[in-house]
Formats: sequence, C-alpha cells, structure tokens
Amino acid sequence: MLKVDVYVDRGVCRLVLNGELDMETVVQMQEAVGKVKEHTLEIDLSGVSFVDSTGLKSLLDISNEWRQKGGRMLVLRPQPDVAEVMRLVGLDGLLAQDTALAGEER
Amino acid sequence: MRRCLECAQKEPDRACVDCQYFIQPSPLRRVPSSPVRVLLEDGYGKQYPARILVLSTTEFGLETEAPVPGRYVIRLQENLWVEVAGVSFKGKNNVHLFDILCVHRKQETARRLSREEYQLLAGSTGELIYEVTRHLPEHLQDLVREKLLAEVEKSELINALKVGVVMKYESGRFRFLSGQADLGLPMEETEKLMRQAIRQAEHRREVIISADGKKVFDLHCVPFDYRSGGLLALDITGVIEKERKMHRQEMQVYREAIAAVTGGRLYLVGSGEIEKVVSEGMELARGEVRQSRDIPEARRAMREALPVLDSRRQHAIALCLTEALANALKHAGGGCWQARQSGDTVRIIVQDRGPGIKTSELTRATLMQHYSTKNSLGCGFTLMLYYADRLYLNTGSSGTVLILDFGIMPAEGLTGLNQ
Repeated sequence: MLKVDVYVDRGVCRLVLNGELDMETVVQMQEAVGKVKEHTLEIDLSGVSFVDSTGLKSLLDISNEWRQKGGRMLVLRPQPDVAEVMRLVGLDGLLAQDTALAGEER
Repeated sequence: MRRCLECAQKEPDRACVDCQYFIQPSPLRRVPSSPVRVLLEDGYGKQYPARILVLSTTEFGLETEAPVPGRYVIRLQENLWVEVAGVSFKGKNNVHLFDILCVHRKQETARRLSREEYQLLAGSTGELIYEVTRHLPEHLQDLVREKLLAEVEKSELINALKVGVVMKYESGRFRFLSGQADLGLPMEETEKLMRQAIRQAEHRREVIISADGKKVFDLHCVPFDYRSGGLLALDITGVIEKERKMHRQEMQVYREAIAAVTGGRLYLVGSGEIEKVVSEGMELARGEVRQSRDIPEARRAMREALPVLDSRRQHAIALCLTEALANALKHAGGGCWQARQSGDTVRIIVQDRGPGIKTSELTRATLMQHYSTKNSLGCGFTLMLYYADRLYLNTGSSGTVLILDFGIMPAEGLTGLNQ
C-alpha cells in the first residue's frame, strides 16, 4: 500500500509518500512524477517503512531523468532502515545533505 | 610430378595409393580402409561414380572414369559439397589426383576440409558406416550412407565413435559384423528401435541408457528392406561422463570463488544437501507467489509469523524475502516461500521451477557491490548478501532454491559485511 500526496510551492514539487514502495506500488509514484511540471522535485520518504530494489531503481531512473532535463531531484528524510539500503546500493547521493536521515545523526 | 608420367610407363601396375609422390606424405595423409564412394558431377550435371582411395585435407586421390583435367563437384552431404579439379599429370589409368578448390558448407566456404569433415571421410565413422552398408543392394548403398553420415554428424559425437558395434538385423536376429561385441547393449530396446526403423522404412536414432543405468548408448538403426537393417551402436558413456565431470569441476571453481568473494557466506550446494537444509527446524509460515501483488502479502504473512525482533532485523528479513521472491517472479514466473526457525536462526526458503541461474551470471551478480541500472538481479543479490548471515543456493535446469539464514540474536555483530 502506498499513498502519494503532492504539494507544489514556488517552483518546487514535493511528493510525500506513505506506506511501502515496492514492485507493486512503484507505479503510483511513477504516475505522480509523470505529472510534475516543476523544475525541482523532492520525494519525501519519511512515511515509507519499506523500499525494495524495484523502488530503488525507480528512484534512480527519476533522478537520471531529472538530471537530463536540467532539473533537480532530491530524496528527503528516509527512515534509517531505508537510508541504509540506499547507501548500500550507492544511492545516498540522492539524499538532500541537510535532511539525510530523519531524526538520526550520520 | 615427373614421377607419375614416368611411373605410368615404367611401373604401370604400381598402385597410386602406395606412391608417396601421388599425395605427399604427411600426418594428414590417410588411406581409408575401404574406399569411400562418392559422385563427381561436372558443370553440365553429368555424374561419374568415384572412389576416394587416399586423401588429405587439400587433395583427393580418386578412382574414376571422369575425364581429367576437369572440374567437378562432390556432394558429401546436403549442406556440404566440395569443388575439385583433376590433375592430369598426377596419377595414371583411371586413378588421378584431385585438388580441393573449395569446400562449401551451409554457412561458409573454405579452401580445405575441416577436421570433422576430414575425419568423416578418413576416420572411423566412414569405416563404420561402410561396414553397416556393405551388405546392402548396390543401388541403395550411396543413399543410405549419405543419410547415415549426415545423421551421425548431427549427433556431434564424431570424436567418440571409437567404441561401438555394428550389427546386421535379419529375420528377427542380430548378427555381429564388427566393433566391440561385448558392449552390453540392452537388446530388447535395441530390437524395438530396429523394428520401428524397418516398419517405417526410416533411419531411427535414439539415446538409451542400459538397465543398470551405468552406460549410455547412441543407437542408429538403418532399414535395408522390409525385414532387415543395420545397427550402429556407440557407447557414449565416456563423453557424457566427461561432460559431467567438467561441469562438476566448473561448479567447484565457482563454488570456491563465490565463497571467497562473499566471505564464505554464500554456498552453492548440491540438491541432496539443500534438501537437508530445507527440512531443518520448524515451519513458521509459507506461501506462494504468482504475481507482484502476492509479494507484499508474503511479507505481511511472514512478519506476523516471525518471533519478536528489533526493527532493523525485521526490515532486513522482509527485504531479502522480497528480493528473492521478485527474482523468482521475474525469472521463473513465480515460486514458493517458507519461513522456518531453528534455534537462533530464522531461515527463509524461496523455491522456483524456472530455468536456473547461469553460473556465469551468478558470479557477476554476487560480485556486483553497487547498483546497476541494467541488472536489478545484481542489486537484489547485493542486498541479500549484505543482510543475510548465510546463503545457500542450488540452481539447475529444474529450478532454483535459495535459502537465507538470519541470526536473531541482538542485531549488533550479526550483520555480516562491513563497508
């Protein structure tokens, strides 16, 4: 199950995800991202308890797509377990520096 | 070259086959024990029967009435023909040297015979086939030989034809012609195949295993007429055993390499061993995955069945189950899972009936530390290797079993690979 909320403010689009991001739900995130017109995309994972490799790959694809069109894409506030997985597969570069980990020091 | 002309005058009775000036002596010069019958065809389609008395990879010594000099085509098989040119000053009477100008194969042409083609004519195959067909009515011989030759070549076992037996079947009985008499053929099945071949008037080939399971035979049955036929039986046990041995050695190398790069945590195991591992401990939960929506369901069912764990460990187990099931779904269209507990270990088992993981791919997948955009199997495996304390893998053409062990002591100190 995944819930996707979209907030737009001054050229920044923030997707706030809640639930699990996996093979089954990844399409919901992709659909929401497909409608984003803004230059900067932020994906807030603070409400996501689980991300699998399909979800990770999709985050990487979105990041590549945004970079190609000269935009900016950031992943915000992943939970510690999810942040660990991202670091493990080399996706920690997507994390915004100031909010790298939700409520935890690096 | 003057020798041939001289020889024709001075020693008209000396056979060209024995003359070293006819085809230069070399390791590839071969005299078939029985001449190989072929047909020469000239540019107008006129055919001349010929017999190959001696050959090398670049020349034939032929006995034929075909005019020399002259260019001809010899059809050895449907997809294999050779262009030759007769050399008038080499040879005498109706025996002449023919240069191989070009060998046409289905896919390519060449200036000389390949090793296999050469062996086909010179080696034991040609002899065995000649033996089988020797008792045939004259008009059938070439046809049957050509067919048989093609069939034997298809079997790709030319190099293994040394051990074999040739028999003739007539009026319900086999008569030994040549080869190894005590081959231990299962005669009942052999006769059945022979009868089929005769009834259908068609070459029949089958690979059968002896009753004790120790020997493998490649059988070729060639019908002669409505009640007799020839049998060519080849013992290919050695070839198969060698293949298996090579496979075992290859697996051993992979096993060691993989154990080394994974810090001894990933084990490639045989099917006997994996069965033992699968049955240890007690079952906590099980399920089946046929589509992607079954995976979160499996995760939920497993979480409910697990003992109380810290959240990091529980997350790791859920992630590994997900990755293993996603692989099974992607590569095998689905699979079964089980969670078991044995002492301080939680064990996740994922089984599928897919085509198996190639060993080469496996090495790549296990060696890949970081995320690859192309290969999400690599990523899944990386995650499993990181989080599981021990992995067992059994993979083959009938499916894959992956077992992941997680220590359920407090998470610290049990998380394996450090970065």
